[in-house]
Amino acid sequence: MSSSTREEVLRHIQTVGNLQPALHKQTHAPAPTEITHTLFRAYTRPVHDVGGEYDVPIQWTEKEEEVWELNTFATCECLAWRGVWSAEERRRRQNVDVGQTAYLGLPYYGRWLMTAALILVDKQYVTLTELHDKIEEVKKRHEQS
Amino acid sequence: MSKVEHDRTHHAKIATGIGDPQCFMGKAGEAKFKVGDRVLVKDRSDLFYSRTMTYTRGAVGTVVRLVYESPAAEDEAWDNTDNPVWFYSVVFSQKDLWPEYHDAYGKDTLETEIPEMYLEKA
Repeated sequence: MSSSTREEVLRHIQTVGNLQPALHKQTHAPAPTEITHTLFRAYTRPVHDVGGEYDVPIQWTEKEEEVWELNTFATCECLAWRGVWSAEERRRRQNVDVGQTAYLGLPYYGRWLMTAALILVDKQYVTLTELHDKIEEVKKRHEQS
Repeated sequence: MSKVEHDRTHHAKIATGIGDPQCFMGKAGEAKFKVGDRVLVKDRSDLFYSRTMTYTRGAVGTVVRLVYESPAAEDEAWDNTDNPVWFYSVVFSQKDLWPEYHDAYGKDTLETEIPEMYLEKA
């Protein structure tokens, strides 16, 4: 492995540390008695896109869809058309299963695309090794161009 | 390695040429509520999945329409379509949902769909 790989790995470990959901108190797998009902409910809350949540004001900006975003949408609709998932299973996977941090941190269609890849692995249409091999292959092709 | 059984044509078999939710029509039994009923939204567990908005839980609204029969989101999210339930369109006063809602907009309402297992007679 090259030293740039080590740099990337160490930078990644640091970044993940900064991504901890902010509870603003120390948490290291606390004892059950240290978790109140209120905290348990907050931790296990399924992340929704159904609204009604408190937030700070954010700036509204109009953004046109990029080609990869439109392709992602079409791919996900094809997966539904071929019976791989329903809209509800897609929503559950891309909103809830990714967790609060990724839900808020990743681009909207980024979550769609990741979820499309994951369901193909979960339902055993491809193995994770095949997917990783493909990612490596595309990375190499990208580096050469 | 054994493959997980997954018949991806199971939904197409019942919905092709009919549509969804039309393919679940008549499968949820008798509806428990009718138009005009006052209903209280139960605060059921939302562990792993739910589409019933947190902000409607514990609030009282009025049934304005029986919209369709369909599997609950909680079941459909794992591709289980065996138990369709009635969905109701329920209207709430915004003032009943948001403690800080201003009196100037006191007549505002919110209408949303809720499955039967979340409702009880108010």
